[in-house]
Amino acid sequence: MLEIKNVTISYQDRPTVKDFSMSLKEKEIASLVGESGSGKTTVIRAVLGLLAGGGRVTEGDILFEGTSLLKNTPDQWRRLRGTDISMIFQDSGAMLNPIRKIGDVFVEYIRTHENMSKGEAWKKGVEMLERMRLPSGDNIMRSYPFQLSGGMRQRVGIAMAMTFQPKLLLADEPTSALDVTTQAQIVRQMMELRDEYGTSIIIVTHNLGVAAYMSDWIIVMKDGRISDSGDRDAILNGNHNDYTRKLLEAVPSLGGERYV
Amino acid sequence: MFDEKDMILEAKHVTRRFPASGGRELTACQDINLKFYRGKTLGLIGESGCGKSTFMRFLVRLDVPTEGEILFKGKDLTKLKGEELRQTRQYIQMVFQDPSGSFNPKMKIRDIICEPLLNFGRIKPSEKDVVARKFLEAVELPGDFADRYPHNMSGGQRQRIAIARAIALEPELIIMDEATCALDVSVQKTIIELVCRLQKEKKIAIGFIAHDLGLIQAFAHQIAVMYLGTIVEILPGEDVDKAQHPYTKALLSAVFDMNMDFTKKIESIDSEIPSPLDVPSGCPFQTRCDHCMERCRQERPALTEIKPGHEVACHIFGREE
Ligand SMILES: Nc1ncnc2c1ncn2[C@@H]1O[C@H](COP(=O)(O)OP(=O)(O)O)[C@@H](O)[C@H]1O
Ligand SMILES: Nc1ncnc2c1ncn2[C@@H]1O[C@H](COP(=O)(O)OP(=O)(O)O)[C@@H](O)[C@H]1O
Ligand SMILES: [Mg+2]
Ligand SMILES: [Mg+2]
Repeated sequence: MLEIKNVTISYQDRPTVKDFSMSLKEKEIASLVGESGSGKTTVIRAVLGLLAGGGRVTEGDILFEGTSLLKNTPDQWRRLRGTDISMIFQDSGAMLNPIRKIGDVFVEYIRTHENMSKGEAWKKGVEMLERMRLPSGDNIMRSYPFQLSGGMRQRVGIAMAMTFQPKLLLADEPTSALDVTTQAQIVRQMMELRDEYGTSIIIVTHNLGVAAYMSDWIIVMKDGRISDSGDRDAILNGNHNDYTRKLLEAVPSLGGERYV
Repeated sequence: MFDEKDMILEAKHVTRRFPASGGRELTACQDINLKFYRGKTLGLIGESGCGKSTFMRFLVRLDVPTEGEILFKGKDLTKLKGEELRQTRQYIQMVFQDPSGSFNPKMKIRDIICEPLLNFGRIKPSEKDVVARKFLEAVELPGDFADRYPHNMSGGQRQRIAIARAIALEPELIIMDEATCALDVSVQKTIIELVCRLQKEKKIAIGFIAHDLGLIQAFAHQIAVMYLGTIVEILPGEDVDKAQHPYTKALLSAVFDMNMDFTKKIESIDSEIPSPLDVPSGCPFQTRCDHCMERCRQERPALTEIKPGHEVACHIFGREE
């Protein structure tokens, strides 16, 4: 459903991500891992046509269901984003308008993509929140973002991203700002989306444990290039790539190496 | 468990309440009792807002508790004043998550490292260059970094500078507040290895705040688990897998680990942590616990030793009155 072919992405004509390729089928989850600055965010923002700072795809192609995304008009992007492809960020709270109630933002979001009355849109919003196991969706719709915890805001972000049952979900460090128990809730919810709706997911994370648990495919990036990629087993148990091995060894593991 | 004559700092019945809106009170720390030992690391773990930083700040006297005492080599830190406080401070240092906040960006690394030493009259200005090089080497950085400014360095290098400055005064206790959580894992590993080496060489006691059990258990000698301002479990670092408190167990099951069983279903606690403004009476964990009994709603469980070095605050293990 998604195919990224030999893509080079440049900021101000300086190539940052080089010769990147991957493909993803329906219901598959792939994770992008690697140290900060290796180009993970750049790759998934390119898929959604949302590169910041004048970033551009200068070589290669990105195909979504067989059609190139690179030639999309602004109008085509509007129809695609939030419906067929959606994205969740590290802090969905930052994306929500701090001076508007969750419900107002949610209703407006639904109505820009679907012809619905305000009342119907409100009901749909509440339903989505409750599906994300947020207690009393009605209450949350009436809250301001600052009245919710980081984990709750993140679940609101996921609820919005899932409203139109996207075929592809792009998640950029969705749990990095969260505590471990909240992280577990979010990981479980993303897995349920895949199981229930068949959503394909690309997740960027620096938590190799999360990547390993969720993913069919793992792509290791280094300095803008793919340094290693394969299915979970090949990455975790393969011993061919030095950089991957070094990365894996650095992850503290329960019952693993102790320094004292 | 540890040799009591190695104990250098003891917190006794430490409580901190902050005034909150509407005349209410927020209890950030509630009756905390912890001991720090020479050459050993105490790992303090718990979710954000549970009171970890509030507690550790008392030890470096950035704040004083509402109740309780903190005994450092027999003296109550909470009561020290003036010159005695200033002198005592050099023996307890702190390293933060983002050290750039505590560096003057206009100062060269040489001056950043030597500033506290000059303040306490430990070195002469003419010795700065030699001393800076010595401590840069101790944290495995090239000596010519002395001429650099902090913004010309990576996050991991800046964290090494913060450690160099902290060890320069030869402290007996170093507090590290999430000092590695902004770093990439491979950099984190090198910093932890460095800290462990320095600890062994200089017999420094370390208080390390983290929210990652996998990380803490890799080098802590004792682990204290905090929930809503109280310590719910204390256990030896090598025994995390023998944790007994339902909250510690929930933390453990929420860790995604490369060696885990990937077919395991995630059991997550769905409910939210109560606000520290509304800490329930009785056990703080009662609203999220699967084993909650009537007694848990009435009476706060006290830490009870179940094995040497292992204490749990849970009525399942508590003795009946
Ligand atoms: N808006 C931008 N303008 C210029 N360079 C950028 C921009 N965003 C990212 N970069 C550069 O691209 C590289 C990759 O960044 P990024 O994709 O954010 O990495 P990651 O998400 O893996 O941490 C970095 O060197 C970064 O400095
Ligand atoms: N100076 C302060 N005034 C009021 N409340 C505070 C203050 N410092 C911390 N708190 C509150 O105390 C609680 C514990 O905070 P903190 O110790 O920073 O937690 P942690 O370090 O475990 O994340 C939080 O609810 C926080 O909002
Ligand atoms: Mg990124
Ligand atoms: Mg803190």
